[in-house]
Amino acid sequence: MIPGSPMQRVPAAAHNAASSIHVAHSLANALDALSEWGSAGAVFAGGTWIMRSPIRHEPLREHYVAIGRIAELGAVRIGTDVVEIGPVVTHAALAAALADLPEFNVLAAAAGRSANPAIRAMATIGGNLATPGFAAADCVPALLCLDAEIEVAGREGRERMKLEHFLQIRSTLAPGRLVTQIVVPRSERKTAHARLPLRKAGDYPVAIVSFSVSVDAAGRVQAARIAVGSVEPVARRWERLEAALIGRQLDAEGAARTATELAEEFVGRDGVDAPAWYRVSVLPSLVRRAAAAALGA
Amino acid sequence: MALSLTVNGDRVASTADPAAPLVDILREELHLTGAKPVCREGFCGACMVLIDGKPTPSCLTPAALADGCEIQTVEGLATPGQLNRIQAALDASDAVQCGMCFPGMVVSLTHLLTASPDATREDIRAALTGNICRCTGYERIIDATLLALATK
Ligand SMILES: Cc1cc2nc3c(=O)[nH]c(=O)nc-3n(C[C@H](O)[C@H](O)[C@H](O)COP(=O)(O)OP(=O)(O)OC[C@H]3O[C@@H](n4cnc5c(N)ncnc54)[C@H](O)[C@@H]3O)c2cc1C
Ligand code: FES
Ligand code: FES
Repeated sequence: MIPGSPMQRVPAAAHNAASSIHVAHSLANALDALSEWGSAGAVFAGGTWIMRSPIRHEPLREHYVAIGRIAELGAVRIGTDVVEIGPVVTHAALAAALADLPEFNVLAAAAGRSANPAIRAMATIGGNLATPGFAAADCVPALLCLDAEIEVAGREGRERMKLEHFLQIRSTLAPGRLVTQIVVPRSERKTAHARLPLRKAGDYPVAIVSFSVSVDAAGRVQAARIAVGSVEPVARRWERLEAALIGRQLDAEGAARTATELAEEFVGRDGVDAPAWYRVSVLPSLVRRAAAAALGA
Repeated sequence: MALSLTVNGDRVASTADPAAPLVDILREELHLTGAKPVCREGFCGACMVLIDGKPTPSCLTPAALADGCEIQTVEGLATPGQLNRIQAALDASDAVQCGMCFPGMVVSLTHLLTASPDATREDIRAALTGNICRCTGYERIIDATLLALATK
């Protein structure tokens, strides 16, 4: 991660351990291959997490099924009530598809400002949601605040669940099952994504606040969904802050003050990039930024 | 199973393992040492190559997904004996210091010149988010890019 450091020599055995990568061209074919490999197999989407396994000292799976070229999993469909997002839509493609829909500013910003341009063209939304070890994933809080649902499928059928539930079960997803769609309801709302990387861009965010509110004609908050990412190991909603904002006139300073009072409910995670306390301490500023951006939208 | 890649216009076969990072094939099998595995994490851009025309970190590209693709490394960007536009501008602007980041810079910027011919200073900065330079402070690289954009 440190530029200018000696070139990384990873022992060949560590990164060459996968014995097959099957490139699937249809969902049915991917499901067959996954079911054949069982627990020895896994989905390979953008590879931006999997290919870094040796750096994390994690073994590769024996078999991968590459799903990135499956056309039926790569579309964004914008309907009148919902937006349906295929799991292999890349961060770059998602940001471009949502660029003209202000109600999705939060998700367009999450997808469009994560990582760096080359990574955004590889990393997929499905991979972003399905990686339990990645606390700093940008699209997870963004989709929590948009009340997204996740479709999971295996050879035996499909099921739909709230993203909150998916986050609880994702690390124990049965072999042969994968995320096949992300469904996001449409509504009149003001949304924004505030992230704090240590440099202006390129780094993981130390903390993320994803913000979505509906306001009445007088500017009072009618509904609010606010999610916090990267502070704790898994992103979650900040329900006490949401409740405190309901019925109030939305103003960025006031929201930040309330966030200061409520921030102690978070137990930050220590990381090489930032200590636990720092992640929590920046939350009020991120709430201020997110609220201001949402108001401006 | 042998993989078949097109690297700088040449068809080459490789028997690398399916998850072997493309950067290792380029360097160790094909002896194209321009792309450098500095971070192996997608952060630094020193291993950047064009895959089917798109800047892609070769440290994160497994051999199996490079199969059948057109790959261009920094070694293949210029016509023999003549630097390409960005190479010439970087040279004229005296932008290179240690050179560690440069193969990746040249690959990303070669793409930018065609993909965003109207790029501004800010656009160039944003395009280089994934190309880290320890030495130069970037300003001369950006100046050189603006110069290259102006010399159509
Ligand atoms: C340098 C760098 C910086 C980054 N910074 C950020 C950042 O700041 N914010 C951010 O959000 N992202 C960032 N990313 C991208 C991040 O790695 C991806 O968003 C994501 O975590 C992995 O997506 P992928 O498609 O590459 O998944 P892969 O690496 O292919 O897979 C990751 C995991 O998800 C599983 N998986 C993938 N797709 C599915 C599916 N459809 N169903 C079930 N399981 C699936 C795989 O089996 C694997 O376990 C960064 C990446 C790099 C390399
Ligand atoms: S070595 Fe590939 S991005 Fe750093
Ligand atoms: S010139 Fe030394 S890292 Fe860029």
